[in-house]
Amino acid sequence: MVSSRTLRALGITLAVAIIGAVAASAATSASNATVIRIWADNDRKAAVQKVAGEWAASKGVEVEVVLKDFGRIRDDLKTVAVENAPDVIVGAHDWTGQLAADGLVQPIFPSKAVRAKIPTYALNAFSYGIASKRLYGAPVALENLGLIVNKNLTRIPKTFAQLQAYALAFQKKSADNIGLAVPQGANGDAYHMYPFFSGLCGYVFGTNKAGNLDPSDIGLSDPAFLKNVGQVNTWNKAGFLNSKVDYGIARDAFLTKRTAAFWITGPWEADSLKKAGGAGLKYTIVPFPKNACASVPFLGVQGFMVTKYATDHGVESLAKDLVGNYMLGADAQVALAAANGRFPANVDAGKQVKDPVLKLFGRAGVGGVPMPNIPQMGAVWSELGGAWVKATKGADATPARVAFVTAARNIANKIG
Amino acid sequence: MTTVIATVTTTDLTAPNTTVRVPPPSLVSRLVGFFSGPVGLALKIGLLAVVNALAVWALSILAADGKWVAAAVLVAATIAIDVLYLVPRRAIPLKFLVPGTIFLVCFQLLPIAYTVGVAFTNWSTGHNLPKSEAITAIQRNTLAPPPDGAQYTMTPADDADGNLVLLLVDDETGVAYVGTEEGLTELSAGTTTVSGGAVTTAEGYTPLQGEELAGLDQQLSGFVVPTGEEDHFVRAEGLSVAIELEPTFRYDPAADTFTNVDTGTVYSDDGKGSYVSPAGEEIEPGWRTYVGLDNFRRIVDDPTVRDPFFRVFVWTVAYATLSVLFTFSLGLFLAIVLNLPGLRFQRLQRSLLVVPYAIPAFLMVLVWAGLLNDDFGIVNKVLGTDIPWLFDAEWAKVSALLVNLWLGFPYFFLVCTGALQAIPSELTEAARVDGATARQVFRRITLPLLLVAVAPLLIASFAFNFNNFGAIFLLTGGGPQAEDQSIAGATDILISYTYKLAFAAGKGQDYGLASAVSIIIFFIVGLISAISFSRSKALENLR
Repeated sequence: MVSSRTLRALGITLAVAIIGAVAASAATSASNATVIRIWADNDRKAAVQKVAGEWAASKGVEVEVVLKDFGRIRDDLKTVAVENAPDVIVGAHDWTGQLAADGLVQPIFPSKAVRAKIPTYALNAFSYGIASKRLYGAPVALENLGLIVNKNLTRIPKTFAQLQAYALAFQKKSADNIGLAVPQGANGDAYHMYPFFSGLCGYVFGTNKAGNLDPSDIGLSDPAFLKNVGQVNTWNKAGFLNSKVDYGIARDAFLTKRTAAFWITGPWEADSLKKAGGAGLKYTIVPFPKNACASVPFLGVQGFMVTKYATDHGVESLAKDLVGNYMLGADAQVALAAANGRFPANVDAGKQVKDPVLKLFGRAGVGGVPMPNIPQMGAVWSELGGAWVKATKGADATPARVAFVTAARNIANKIG
Repeated sequence: MTTVIATVTTTDLTAPNTTVRVPPPSLVSRLVGFFSGPVGLALKIGLLAVVNALAVWALSILAADGKWVAAAVLVAATIAIDVLYLVPRRAIPLKFLVPGTIFLVCFQLLPIAYTVGVAFTNWSTGHNLPKSEAITAIQRNTLAPPPDGAQYTMTPADDADGNLVLLLVDDETGVAYVGTEEGLTELSAGTTTVSGGAVTTAEGYTPLQGEELAGLDQQLSGFVVPTGEEDHFVRAEGLSVAIELEPTFRYDPAADTFTNVDTGTVYSDDGKGSYVSPAGEEIEPGWRTYVGLDNFRRIVDDPTVRDPFFRVFVWTVAYATLSVLFTFSLGLFLAIVLNLPGLRFQRLQRSLLVVPYAIPAFLMVLVWAGLLNDDFGIVNKVLGTDIPWLFDAEWAKVSALLVNLWLGFPYFFLVCTGALQAIPSELTEAARVDGATARQVFRRITLPLLLVAVAPLLIASFAFNFNNFGAIFLLTGGGPQAEDQSIAGATDILISYTYKLAFAAGKGQDYGLASAVSIIIFFIVGLISAISFSRSKALENLR
């Protein structure tokens, strides 16, 4: 039945297949030097490669930096196969709770000397645990919002009342003007609204006796906040805050059209600000003026974490040395900050920052609150943002008290 | 039915009145001839070799992981493919069907099976690892430095016998020790040099550095020096630091429980992937496990999941139905208008109408989101209105339908244009001769014949819009918040609601619950499509 021609063809097929397979396996099996695999995003890949590479050379190992979309680093870590998994990841502090609850990252214990150079709040930002906290990441860079002032159009406000008065005065000059450009949009933006929220004495989660975040203490319906929340209705009526302004509109109005007196944004816009500064925009970045309470922004802390896979790959001590020792040092942080456009966490490295825009953003973040890093925060973003949208959408807005109390109830329901 | 569809899709738009264009036979036969010879054989062997090479490579990975069932299936499938394509003139239909079937299995059936599998687990934030790894993680995460715990500057070294030891200098007292698996022994100051806080030389020990040390990593990270105090030990933390740690939770493998060392509280396996104390407190992390119908039960029992479900379902059906109705009506209307004989610039007008179809839909949706902005969008400015397009629950639904109409009508315009040209003109002419009005001709002849061709596409379009995640998510993000204040916004359709459940649930992600909801969506869409298809068969009898 089977002809000789078929047999010959089969033989050729098999031969080619084996050659192909051998070539494929030869290509995949690299040298047998110890390799530390790091997942980093596009903004940081080159800097991480350079900084970690210097460390690796001194330890006689190699680093392999794998490019990942920032958000995918967190999500892919949950599904990655052991052989492809990273030993170290670049991450944001607010992932800490989720990743630790999943058992995917491991605690690090930097020496006292190293820890002394990092501000406590930055270490707290990467610490997680309801009963007792562990440090799960090495803080490397800080970011926060600042109040950007167009000095051609308005003056620098010293008090919250001045901020309102200047913004509204500018807004009244023309129908196209936006006094204060702070992004919300239909789905809200709790992050950009936080300075107003904290200024009214609001908070997201309280802390328990051990000093750790307590998801059952929700500050959106805290009496101290509700006492001040009526201000939001005034702001809405006056048009001081307007939820129809989204990120694109705010940015465009301040940077391009120059029809906004104030803008709220963070260091990711530093390059655009400098460019606009070159094109005639006279601006400065100031801390938010105090309202009923200190108006502080959310702090975002970025850093490195050691994954559980470092142990599986037999590089745990190396990974912990890289993250818990080397990356927390001033030299590494200066190099990373320069590449990354963020203020370094290490105080010695912070003193070496020369970039004026980064320095101003750093000052605007003093006293800021790290975004809660517990997984329950997932239930907060849309509700808190949504409450602001409803309370500041103009004529048919919901009274602020109702909006925030409802949001607090929904968050409690979702957390369960 | 299939022939009609083929006619529709192959009809040349620019040449009305021709029905099917047959490709020049000479080219086809030449191609067949070309590939039948040695070239074809070489091509076939080359492709099979690639398939076999991939199989051998995959086999090596499966074998390394000990997945023998999958490896056996792979070997059997590869041999079957080789035999199928190497045996000439046998099982010719199979040769055409097999590649499609393989892709169907890989990209349709496997994901469905996987989703079904996930729906019966508790896979969510805090329940990600297998149980054994969760136990390891709990043990690791609950180690803590004791209140008066020491911290050392460490130099890993070999002793005279080549065994790993840790040369340690207490950061507070400056006393140097050697740490072995037996315990800590103070080094005599006479034979030891300490510089920069670390031991640099010590008699009888060789400090390890660089590659030598890197190669010992596994040994080093597992190296534990008991301090003599109960359970306390010193462990390497990186390559130059060691710290004293103690467990705050102790695992009892026999009873499968964790005990809090300080309080004595016992945490036991609750059967749902967590160690839980009698008071209901959970230890993180838990693990991924089968939980039976729990996720489906939550859809019924949990008010935060159940309450919006019905509302979202009604809106999803309305959104999909109205989207199909509107896009089809507008597409058909324009097709008829542009099919009128004697129309000027017919080609140009048709091309212009297809423009929305040619621009990537995601881009268009984002542009529309900007255009419809209540205060700053151009739509309200041009109309001089103050309509809350995206901020009001009902208007946002209107916006979603309008934008979907813009995105979808060119498709039905193209389809209807083709189908109209496929209807023999003798039929309509005969009806006219018999005295029918234009309206009667359309209702009695054109529309029924058109529906024969288009009905399956209407059903497909319904199923597509039922799950049209992108159009909703990019335009409104499911928002604004609905009256019931639930996790589902006013314009959320079932699939975007599922997404929110999966990625923005109370405690991060909840893949198990989201999979359960998507299975329900699968059955709903399947049921509606099945009913529609069986009813559309009735239309065929017209032919």
